[in-house]
Amino acid sequence: MIRSHFLNLLVFSALVAVFFAFLTQNDPKDRVRVILILGGSMVVLSLIIAYVMYPFPLR
Amino acid sequence: MSDTLVEQAAPDARSVSSPFVACFLAWLLPGLGHFYLGKKVRAAMFFAVVLVMFTLGVASDGAASLIEQRQPLTFLATFDNLAAGPMDLISRYLTFGSIVYVLPGEEGDPRRAELVERLRSRVRSVTYEYGNTFLLTAGLMNILLILDAFDIATGRKD
Repeated sequence: MIRSHFLNLLVFSALVAVFFAFLTQNDPKDRVRVILILGGSMVVLSLIIAYVMYPFPLR
Repeated sequence: MSDTLVEQAAPDARSVSSPFVACFLAWLLPGLGHFYLGKKVRAAMFFAVVLVMFTLGVASDGAASLIEQRQPLTFLATFDNLAAGPMDLISRYLTFGSIVYVLPGEEGDPRRAELVERLRSRVRSVTYEYGNTFLLTAGLMNILLILDAFDIATGRKD
């Protein structure tokens, strides 16, 4: 199956973003906005956290 | 035609809908509760998203959880698996080779040893963590869908 951590992150973020867009919004434009903001935030924040955690564990 | 227009027919359907039937259908199959309430576009999307999430979980060697008395969190995980409805039976069967929900408590029980070994064979998989995350998220999503169907059926939400 998908072994790439980044690809898993992208797929997971996309599915969660689509799910919440349809759960919380009725207007198609609002849904697209939520998908972009939520999905993008999940990916970008994950990369930032990964970057910050990169030096750990400190030796 | 935009899906907003399609869903404008919903209030009529909702007024004759039972919240409990909607919840049961939502549990039975992701999106079916919304379909029952006339939210067909949403129903199709929810079905697709939860099904893809669940399928990725199973395909990535995610494991269904078993209740173990000494580990309270396994109650939550098993409840979450059950929230996915009958789909849980598939992942449970693929994980354990049978439909089982509770890990036998005694250490010497051969059934317990067999179940633990089946679980360990999943845990050894490289993609186990991904699969488990997908499976648990599919269950959590379906819990939200059940609650959402209830809210729509009772008129708290459009």
